[in-house]
Amino acid sequence: MKLMVFLLIAIIILSILGTLIPQGEGARAFAAHLAPGLAFLFHKLQLFDIYHSLLFVILMILLSLNLIVCSWSRFPTSWRLFRRAFSSLPDRPSSPHKVFVSQGRLEEESLRLENLLRKRYRKVRREDKEGVSYLYGRKGFFSYFGMYIVHLSVLIIIGGAVIGNLFGFGAYMEIPDGGFSDTVRLEGRDDFKKLDFTVRCDRFSLELYDNGAPKSYRSDLTFLIGNQVAYKGPLLVNHPIKFEGIRFYQASYGTITGSKAIITVRKNDQEVYELYTTAGTDFKLPGEEVTGKILRIEENLMGLGPSVKIAIHSAEGDLQFWVFQYIERIIEKNPSLFENVPLLNPGLFKPYLFSLDGFESKYYTGLQVKHDPGVSTVAVGSFLLVFGFMVVFFSSSRQIWINLETEGKWTRISIGGKDNKNPVGLQRDLSYFMRKITEEQE
Amino acid sequence: MLNSVIFNGVTFIYLGAFVFYLVNMVTAREFWGRLASFTALFGLLAHTTSLIIRWVESYNLGIGHIPLSNLYESLVFFAWAIMLLYLIVEWRTKSKVLGAFVVPFGFLLMAYASLSPDNNIQPLIPALQSNWLTSHVITCFMGYAAFTISCALSLMYLLKGSKRGNSSETFLRFIPALDILDELNYQMVVFGFVFLTLGIITGAVWAQYAWGSYWSWDPKETWSLVTWFIYAVILHTRFIRGWRGERIAIMVIIGFVSVLFTYWGVNYLPGLHSYQ
Ligand code: HEM
Repeated sequence: MKLMVFLLIAIIILSILGTLIPQGEGARAFAAHLAPGLAFLFHKLQLFDIYHSLLFVILMILLSLNLIVCSWSRFPTSWRLFRRAFSSLPDRPSSPHKVFVSQGRLEEESLRLENLLRKRYRKVRREDKEGVSYLYGRKGFFSYFGMYIVHLSVLIIIGGAVIGNLFGFGAYMEIPDGGFSDTVRLEGRDDFKKLDFTVRCDRFSLELYDNGAPKSYRSDLTFLIGNQVAYKGPLLVNHPIKFEGIRFYQASYGTITGSKAIITVRKNDQEVYELYTTAGTDFKLPGEEVTGKILRIEENLMGLGPSVKIAIHSAEGDLQFWVFQYIERIIEKNPSLFENVPLLNPGLFKPYLFSLDGFESKYYTGLQVKHDPGVSTVAVGSFLLVFGFMVVFFSSSRQIWINLETEGKWTRISIGGKDNKNPVGLQRDLSYFMRKITEEQE
Repeated sequence: MLNSVIFNGVTFIYLGAFVFYLVNMVTAREFWGRLASFTALFGLLAHTTSLIIRWVESYNLGIGHIPLSNLYESLVFFAWAIMLLYLIVEWRTKSKVLGAFVVPFGFLLMAYASLSPDNNIQPLIPALQSNWLTSHVITCFMGYAAFTISCALSLMYLLKGSKRGNSSETFLRFIPALDILDELNYQMVVFGFVFLTLGIITGAVWAQYAWGSYWSWDPKETWSLVTWFIYAVILHTRFIRGWRGERIAIMVIIGFVSVLFTYWGVNYLPGLHSYQ
């Protein structure tokens, strides 16, 4: 008992530490803020991966052992309690609750009470010996085993977690929209793993609410073994796909850098040219000795949105300027922007006006990949745990003894009972029988 | 929106109920007790109505979901669960003194919710779009509510226990006998422990569906486990050692601090669960 409290408190403290010190992925950034010596110490003490640290594992093992040993050594007592009530003659109530004297004959009275008892109690025994009638009823003896069910289920859950840690893996993979992949990056390790099949992302789509918050992420996936399509289906958050014992979850998404920009060039409000290229490409404006180059493509420049940097080479010399996609909005906020910063003017090279219509953004989908053979064990343990709680907390074992004895013309009836948890319920039952006994006499 | 207006009104109704329970405790007049219960019940009905209205309003906005999805909604639901459970306990035990200790929790949660800047109905982000959201949140908050009531019972126990000598002179004499408090406290802890367990299990099932892993040691998960262990220790000292009364009361209060941290404190730690 002392050991159990000590172990649980130690686990509690370690767990709390784990929520205060960044773990796993976040640990590296945190360690950079620490003095190098301290970071090294933390690392050596496994404080960056507390829940898999040696100390934590040892504590869990000790807790399990403690649980097993305690339950093991206690079980025979419970078992004996359970058996004894069946095998031996039911005792006479040691301190009877109440003694009545009835005018009815012993046989009639005992038969009547036996039937009453049977209505309310699952197990009823009757024995007649030396002029005494012993009635005994009991129910809920299973309640003695609730504690073992609970403890067993805790062990099963821990066992399931161990199985998952030993034989499973957690990983992550990114597949470009339209692309495929058969390797995953293992979590917590800089290591890759090759799957026995290929996953292809046929389409990734993103839906937004009106306020810009994400509404759904969806990847249409195809699983291929060799070149054979083995499974096809959509993957959404909260709707994982299981394939060959491995579960895939929609975890994240992103855009692939190196996207193509769509640029329109106007001359005196007439559209003259359309560009659709990646950074680094050269172009030539039609009909003139003007060449240009797309220098850079930025997804979000200075927080002002997508932008491309363009260089122009002409007879008048060289020019460079940025073309923002949302230039109207920017001008609204800074009406004098072009005077102050000509570099941001998309019409700097007169009489041409450049505009950025957007990027052809290409998404990749990020999948969480998990193989955990311990899940079903943990699920069984959880069910059993809840069932055990029902037995421990909401059932009690109750016994009732009624003895009948002839005393001259009368029959002496004594009644008593016992309950391991619920004295109120026992009292209710006893009152019921006492009422029934006296009822008949009037 | 209508629902937040009603919620603000409910806050004041609970404040009124709290005052009436206090007056009832000090004067032990039946009138005040009745008035307090009536006020609390009226508040709960209005509270329930408003929850339903908010739910309907969310459907009218085309983003229908049960109102359990952000900090504001969770505060409101927490208060609702406390008041519901409290009124059930009052009805079963016929004792109104407990109200003076429990209702302030309901009131404070509602008051805190009404100060919250963001009480708009927001659409559900993909990870929350799951049927498990409902069962997870309801079981967790039933557990939290039971722990809140058991914390109130423990406070009553310590208050009455510390003045054992002269308790007949003060209003403390209206607090039920210590062993009754202790028994009720135990029942609340059991109720809370079972629901917390169900909450953790439903949460694990949900996480398995949403994130691919039933347990990822995220701070909220870890803290709920810490809370679970604390209450497991309480139950064991009671079962095995036969601890009663004061020691249990103190441990229950520690457990409740852990509950509060699980619910609210972890928002200040990074993780998947924070309500921001
Ligand atoms: C809620 C239902 C539970 C009940 C009714 C219960 C009951 C008991 C009882 C009666 C013992 C005493 C065994 C003895 O001293 O011989 C015990 C011991 C123990 N229990 Fe539980 N238990 C419950 C849940 C749990 C849980 C959830 C855990 C794990 C986290 C746990 C861990 C332990 C351990 C480690 C011991 C050994 C204590 C010692 O050193 O004596 N129990 N339990």
